[in-house]
Amino acid sequence: MADVFVVASKEFSDIVRSKRFIVLVAIFGLIMTAAMVTVYVSIVQTMPTAPGGPPMPQRFLGTVAYMLISTMPLFGAVMGVALGCDTISGEREKGTLKIVLAQPVFRDTVINGKFLAATLAVSIAVFITSLANVGASIMILGVTPTGEEALRLALFMVFSVLFAMTYYGIAVFLSTVSKKTSQSVILGVTVWAVFTFVIPIIATLVAFTIAPPIIRPPSPGEPMEMDIESIRRYTAIVETISSITPNHHFSKVGQYLLNPYATTGGPFPPQPAQEAASVTSSLIYAGPNILVLTIVTTLAFIASYMVFTRQEVR
Amino acid sequence: MEYVIETNDLTKVYGSGKEAVTAVDHENMRIKRGSISGILGPNGAGKTTLVMMLTGLILPTSGTAKVLGHDIVKESLQIRKKVGLLPEGFGFYDHLTAKQNLDYIAALNDIPKEERDKRVGEILKAVGSDGFKDRKVGGFSRGMKQRLAIAQTLIKDPELLIFDEPTAGVDPEGAKAFKDMVSKLNKEQGKTIVVCTHLLFEMGPLCTDVAIMNQGRFVVQGNVEEIAERMMAEEGYRIEVEARGDVGAFVAKLKRLKEIISLEVKDDVISIKTMSDVRAEINKRAAKIKGLEVLSIRRLEPSLEDLFMKYYQKEIGVVAHG
Ligand SMILES: Nc1ncnc2c1ncn2[C@@H]1O[C@H](COP(=O)(O)OP(=O)(O)OP(=O)(O)O)[C@@H](O)[C@H]1O
Ligand SMILES: [Mg+2]
Repeated sequence: MADVFVVASKEFSDIVRSKRFIVLVAIFGLIMTAAMVTVYVSIVQTMPTAPGGPPMPQRFLGTVAYMLISTMPLFGAVMGVALGCDTISGEREKGTLKIVLAQPVFRDTVINGKFLAATLAVSIAVFITSLANVGASIMILGVTPTGEEALRLALFMVFSVLFAMTYYGIAVFLSTVSKKTSQSVILGVTVWAVFTFVIPIIATLVAFTIAPPIIRPPSPGEPMEMDIESIRRYTAIVETISSITPNHHFSKVGQYLLNPYATTGGPFPPQPAQEAASVTSSLIYAGPNILVLTIVTTLAFIASYMVFTRQEVR
Repeated sequence: MEYVIETNDLTKVYGSGKEAVTAVDHENMRIKRGSISGILGPNGAGKTTLVMMLTGLILPTSGTAKVLGHDIVKESLQIRKKVGLLPEGFGFYDHLTAKQNLDYIAALNDIPKEERDKRVGEILKAVGSDGFKDRKVGGFSRGMKQRLAIAQTLIKDPELLIFDEPTAGVDPEGAKAFKDMVSKLNKEQGKTIVVCTHLLFEMGPLCTDVAIMNQGRFVVQGNVEEIAERMMAEEGYRIEVEARGDVGAFVAKLKRLKEIISLEVKDDVISIKTMSDVRAEINKRAAKIKGLEVLSIRRLEPSLEDLFMKYYQKEIGVVAHG
């Protein structure tokens, strides 16, 4: 019986040598750089008005956090879909699947090997692009992260890989059930677009219809007044609907890990800065979201196994 | 007699309800160890479905089968260790070289690295692909890929080889090379070989045994000579006599034979169709005619084509098991 590593090592070298992978890593490296430059420029501009600025740790993490939070959801999801959407259908189409499966190898081993290879490749991609840009921000901003910040960044990267693998798992499933790669690509992109764009819009619309936030028009000379309770309800609805997307959970994980001041109260209304949470507390806050991502990924793989092991290969 | 393949009411139905297609229909067949067996049948007969079930790529709907003594459903992995399959419509990894492709397949068969290198090299030579072993398969012609596909089946040093349409898209020279290789593998290494094809004329003469399949059923199977014998018994024997001298008297005598079905004379050649092999009787009668010289008495064996035509067109239901 062939080892999962036989499949994994071939798949890994296929992935990292593929144009698709190299191009994606390059593009996201550039996007991250652009995000970083934006942050840098805005900091330089605000410097004079805020002499001394906020305490260093917050600023460093805040800078990098912006860069990572703004790019990673896109990177992870696109990477996951791009690597996953032809795993099975591509081999079926090319006719390599029947040659591989005519060897003494379990079908699960084939999927596991591919999963392992993709995890490794995605990790490398996430770490390379993130570290290169974190390194650059350290040099440009002249601040060094504290041990805790480094840990938070590292954890965020790990969960970025998990997030990418959630999309990868979904894409593998689609590629298992699709006859053709063109079909699984379309399905994969659709799922991604629905989760990323459609559901957030629907969530906003629904929340707006059911519980519109009440904002009283300002009377002259007075600040605008908001009804905190209505906004809380509105936000809760948006979050509940969005929580069916992996993106929502990943962005929560990002918030908790990269902003020690984030608590489980939701992003709104802005809480007055309390004490910073420890890394452990942040992880505990993010726990349910991490669990959801893990479960979705696992389910996607179980579904793929179930379909694939019974599938006719001809 | 030892069999490498035995099926027992093996059945495959694709789809369900109105769209159900019975590709393999309660099939019972046997393939002898050491034979070169041809599974012959027209397009859509169910040949590919059959071999895919035998190698674990498709699950049967009902029935059972054993390959090399292993159950095709429960012990498929054991089967795939020992059976080399050239599937229909196969493909290779285009971005890898011929050598890399084979190396991967060898690795999937748990062959250690050093042995892999050696074996891959030898096999590429054996199938005549040594010249392009380091070229990417993406640029290969149909025939080059076909050779690689044959090479791929040999990597695991299988006991049984199953080739599904092995010469599809191959030029005559390539087809001949394939046949030579099959004979050699069979004779020198004692491998059992199963060839599925609709190319009766190309592959038929290679086979020691044939199984003719149509609409999911075996219409006839067994040793080529035995089948011919049976067909002659069913359809009548064709005997050709070439004679000189008083042919007219001879014909008159022959016509009185009760086994005769028909008789035709053309020049000095008398073509007779009889119900049994009456060559001895013909000789006896010829001896009684003065001035008659019999130059030859031959029994015409039915050609594979005759077999094919007869059994292809045969009603399903009249199933002969060999
Ligand atoms: N996936 C499928 N779904 C439905 N019907 C199928 C499927 N695959 C094959 N069939 C049908 O099963 C029958 C047998 O097909 P199969 O490919 O096994 O025949 P074959 O003898 O190998 O033919 P060929 O000489 O064309 O390769 C055909 O009628 C075919 O249409
Ligand atoms: Mg076929």
